[in-house]
Amino acid sequence: MRFRASIQNIHTFTKFTASLSTLGHIAWVRLDEKDVRFTVIPEQGTQVWSVLSIDTIFETYTIQSAAPNNTINLEVPIAPLQRALKSAQNAIAANIRLTKKDNIPLLSLTITTMTMNSSAPCGSAGFNGRNGSGENGADGYDAPDEFREESAELFGARGQDRETTVTQDIPIRVLAPASVEGLHEPRCREPDVHITLPNLMQLKSISDRFTKLALSTKTSTRTGFTSSASGPKLELSGNMHGCLRLSLNTDSLRISSLWTGLENPELDPEQNSEGEAGLASHPSTRMKQLGDSTGQSEEGWATVRVEGRDWGRVLSVGRLGGRVIACFCHEHALILYVFIGGNETGVGESVLTYYISSYSA
Amino acid sequence: MATNPPLLTAVSSSARQLLLLLRCISFTKKSRVRISAEGIRFSTEEGSLMEAFVFLEKSLFTSYTYNAPPPPCSQDDVPAPPVFEINLTALLETLNIFGLLDPANAMAKRGGEFDSFATHRLNRHNAFSNHALAMPTGICTFSYTGSGSPLSIHMSESGVTTTCDLTTYEASTTEEIPFNRDSLALKTIMRASSLQDTVTELSSMSPETITITATPTSNISFTSSGSLGSATVDFTTNTPLSTSAPILDTFHCPRKTSASFKFGLVKAAQRAMASATKVSLRLDGEGVLSLQFLVELDVEGKEEGEGVAFVDFRVVPLVEGEGDGVDGEGGSSDED
Repeated sequence: MRFRASIQNIHTFTKFTASLSTLGHIAWVRLDEKDVRFTVIPEQGTQVWSVLSIDTIFETYTIQSAAPNNTINLEVPIAPLQRALKSAQNAIAANIRLTKKDNIPLLSLTITTMTMNSSAPCGSAGFNGRNGSGENGADGYDAPDEFREESAELFGARGQDRETTVTQDIPIRVLAPASVEGLHEPRCREPDVHITLPNLMQLKSISDRFTKLALSTKTSTRTGFTSSASGPKLELSGNMHGCLRLSLNTDSLRISSLWTGLENPELDPEQNSEGEAGLASHPSTRMKQLGDSTGQSEEGWATVRVEGRDWGRVLSVGRLGGRVIACFCHEHALILYVFIGGNETGVGESVLTYYISSYSA
Repeated sequence: MATNPPLLTAVSSSARQLLLLLRCISFTKKSRVRISAEGIRFSTEEGSLMEAFVFLEKSLFTSYTYNAPPPPCSQDDVPAPPVFEINLTALLETLNIFGLLDPANAMAKRGGEFDSFATHRLNRHNAFSNHALAMPTGICTFSYTGSGSPLSIHMSESGVTTTCDLTTYEASTTEEIPFNRDSLALKTIMRASSLQDTVTELSSMSPETITITATPTSNISFTSSGSLGSATVDFTTNTPLSTSAPILDTFHCPRKTSASFKFGLVKAAQRAMASATKVSLRLDGEGVLSLQFLVELDVEGKEEGEGVAFVDFRVVPLVEGEGDGVDGEGGSSDED
């Protein structure tokens, strides 16, 4: 089993892992010849299934596996991966490969940085102090948490610039094909409303304030709202006329924010199993008849209730700056498609899919 | 009667300004609101030991329409202005809902980690942003239909409109702490920051009481005492250095006077001390403390005198025999 690639877009990869890390500790990573898939399925809350085209983050990608379709399945702890990528922020080159040390499978990240000042070997010395990866213990991850760095210094030709190579080892687990067979992307009925979301940073800042409002105006003395199930619920609605509404109702206030003039992307008949006829009977076609573009009408809204803090964590994907389409299944679920990278025609586009189930009122 | 015009419609061009003022009195969750033809008065209280109020004069709003409620019966009684209670925390959070969205703020915060595409997206939604059109930040509208209806706040910014309906509660009490303006035992005006420094200085020992002592010889001292000891900060109008401006603008004290207060109550005014430029500190014959803060508002294109607002605090003194007897001369630290 072999895997080796050079990372071509460290910033995107870092932001991507940062977004995943808000939802869970462990990612199931599936590598094959077509794409790279990262899936996070936390015990509670939102799942994310992402499919990255290889060239979104990697180049010179080599994979060799005995498993069918040349596939490698790994269980990767996200926090150590994120830390390793962080140390690669100013790298001139970074490579990742699957390896084994003392029988422990590792993802080994080799980072080359250029130090301009030749007097002090900065960079390499500082990393050893960061080994205390305390959160790993809680992962249920049984391999010993070794997180090693080795450095080798190669003097540049002029003696002024110096190349520093840092190796970060991330202990992982290789998953047998049988163990991931049972994992399937959630299925959902056709959505009632699909709409392009406004800037996620803006949406997140308003959502976070709503969550804060819900917590600060809570009158009940119920304690133990540490589990996400009992946190404040925000109501999110969309219609087929470019309106998105976020609202919160408590005893002491009712607040709602309304976005108008958003885009409802057209459905592609070729993507529908029944073609044009399928589109005509699509729930969103019916929803188009209801409501209006000012968002004042009470008709035509598809609504879901999300847990405020979980929703805020989902929205942190805004840092990737992609186009986000939200699909509302009324009173049932919300699916977010986050499209990143890719060219104008949508070829080589990567997509992150978030499945958020709705709470009952 | 069903089609009465709304009792109040007030538009402010700066939610930030209102936020600044209302934050001064946000030491409790509930606030009493009184609407009149002249403006909106927000007040908060702590037990009946302290109350604070801020009056949002109608000149602070770009438009202010008040329709007096119809008299309850045919007689010509002057109807009482509506009074109700709201959750102040909720109001402040609502006014601040776009607080993080100030484009300049957002840019500074995100700095380098924001890539160009995201910036483009942000700007696209901000094409008509307040900065582009040089408009003041955060237009918000207050409206109130009448007794039993919620107080609605409507805000619009960056292509998003937010509406908040605050449930109005019946006001529990409308009693105010009486302050006798005609028999003042002490009146002085100082910089709010001086008072803030004093309170910060004294609070380090988490004292229980604060005593204000003033003598006609232009001397005022603040003494805090608690289980850990006591400390005093003295102010005087007799500035040794004639070049520096006097620390007390006005000083009026007919005879030696002294009053003690719960330290925590005075400390609750700290936010007001931080926002205000000047404070008028008064004690009446009964020892009730009145702190009136002058807050300068950053208003562009307004006539002189309109860019200020007042935030008032009144604190009931502790009964005699507590926190008395500190000399004020020895061991004091002079400030100038």
